[in-house]
Amino acid sequence: MKTPKISIRDLKLWYGESEALHGINVEFVENQVTALIGPSGCGKSTLLRCLNRMNDRISGCRIEGEVLIDGDDIYAPEVDVVQLRTHVGMVFQKPNPFPKSIYENVAYAPRIHGLAEKSSEMDELVETALRRASIWDEVKDKLNSPGTSLSGGQQQRLCIARTIAVQPNVILMDEPCSALDPIATAKIEELIDELKGEFTIIMVTHSMQQAARISDQTAFFYMGDLIEFGETGKIFTQPEKQQTEDYITGRFG
Amino acid sequence: MSLQINANMKRRYAAEKRFKAYAITALALAGAFLIFFFTDMISKGLPALQQAEILVDVHYNDTSMKSYKKAVDKPYRSIVSRGYLRTLPLYMEDHPELMGTDQSQWVITTGDVDQYLKGKPNRLKKRHQKQIDQLLSEGKVQLAFNVGFFTNGDSKMPELAGIKSAVIGSIYVLLLTIAFALPIGVMTAVYLEEFAPDNRLTQVIEVNINNLAAIPSILFGLLGLAIFINFFGAPRSSALAGGLTLALMTLPIIIITTRASLKAVPDSIREAAFGLGASRWQTTWHHVLPLAMPGILTGSIIGLAQAMGETAPLLIVGMMAYVPDAPGSILDAATVLPAQIYTWAGESIRAYEERTAAAILVLLSVLLSLNGLAVYLRKQFERRW
Repeated sequence: MKTPKISIRDLKLWYGESEALHGINVEFVENQVTALIGPSGCGKSTLLRCLNRMNDRISGCRIEGEVLIDGDDIYAPEVDVVQLRTHVGMVFQKPNPFPKSIYENVAYAPRIHGLAEKSSEMDELVETALRRASIWDEVKDKLNSPGTSLSGGQQQRLCIARTIAVQPNVILMDEPCSALDPIATAKIEELIDELKGEFTIIMVTHSMQQAARISDQTAFFYMGDLIEFGETGKIFTQPEKQQTEDYITGRFG
Repeated sequence: MSLQINANMKRRYAAEKRFKAYAITALALAGAFLIFFFTDMISKGLPALQQAEILVDVHYNDTSMKSYKKAVDKPYRSIVSRGYLRTLPLYMEDHPELMGTDQSQWVITTGDVDQYLKGKPNRLKKRHQKQIDQLLSEGKVQLAFNVGFFTNGDSKMPELAGIKSAVIGSIYVLLLTIAFALPIGVMTAVYLEEFAPDNRLTQVIEVNINNLAAIPSILFGLLGLAIFINFFGAPRSSALAGGLTLALMTLPIIIITTRASLKAVPDSIREAAFGLGASRWQTTWHHVLPLAMPGILTGSIIGLAQAMGETAPLLIVGMMAYVPDAPGSILDAATVLPAQIYTWAGESIRAYEERTAAAILVLLSVLLSLNGLAVYLRKQFERRW
């Protein structure tokens, strides 16, 4: 067993009065793809957003328990949220490039974090990030055109490039392919497979085929509880719980 | 069954046609009023762009210096503008080389001569009318472009009255309003929308800001009087007091439109920036504000245009004073265009009527160009995301 990158211990979360997560205990392994599956409203996106404290923005959201990344509790009072998010990047459901040039989209975060001093360094950084997101060849001749002019799948890969330009060690993906067509989805999946050598990837997905295709571990959530967690192959072939089986065989959800 | 539906269809189409006719009538009525208003204003205001002048010999000498009336020959004394003659001694002091000469030149006439030439009601005496008719046939009287309307301040003699001091006052007031209301308004809105928690206090503040936008403007005048003049001691009638008062009045409008434009920026942009480790301030400054800019500018310009046409609060802080000289600083007594219009509209001398209309035309064109600028900026900055 590899070392756990992220350990979640007895995590409870409330939106106002309603409890959305009822004490989650789980460990995510380094440099693997973990898929979070489950029906809508089961808390998988909520859990994902706990990992870079995106839930902090929601008023009335309260958390109990621990989330350890590399052994450090990210909810400890001395933790700087801004700094945390440079280690834990995020790709969203709907591609959301900034309405700026393709170059600026990638260069923005390195610039605010001071990762490149000279413009030649920045050019290099942008190129590396775009190459690693396998979009360099498609955009290298139009780096100054707006990021929003790209197709949906290209936009999503641009968003991934933007995220890896900060050199995080964890990347959270919230249904990254749900707004894309099958061809664009295949490209993103291929990309995720390449990226997992360097990053720990946690991905929420609605598509069970997708989870089966690209993830190493799968966690099944239902009504704010973690029902089952384990090797993807095992979850999809011999699930231990009846609920898991019902869900993956399409009996509900 | 289908027969019944057919009959119903007929009724429905008739109702639709009627409804369309109502809408078109309403539109036509509004258009007719607008056209009527503009033709009336333009036909009344355009004559003010011309001013009667008369060709006379002006005597530059010591006698005229002592008694300015004697600068022109007796028969002309009651048809040449007294206001013009009054300026002669000073003019002679500045131009000593003219002393002892007689210059044949075009000088402006009294308002009555001007109105007589334009065929408007006037109090010109019969013999003077004959004299003007005579001079007209000799080509010694003419209507020339009224430069003075744009280069003079207010005057108690209509032929000399111009809008310069009011225009400069308006510019001062507008600049002060922008300088105070825009940064304070935008920053308030940014704080409320992007930083403040959503609790009872911010809700109370929000309701109050919305209420402030609906308060009669004259109350802002009273507030300005109490705070800026009585408490802080800003000079009465000054552009400073007026600008600050109008800034108070414009603030709620700017805050409301800015908040609306900030709200319209999709949350995905904020999430993208936060997700990359941008701080709240960086997210707002680098991404949200630039996207909200067109809306903020449009709203602010419309708010400022409204402030520019405002009279009531300025009456209270004393800005409808008679101000013949253009203000040299924001602390001098000043007046603004709408207040100037108000003052002229109340004058009993008929020659002011066309000047009132002309000043309204100037104010309207300024306001229209401001609104045009707002539309242009919105088109210019509009982007999709």
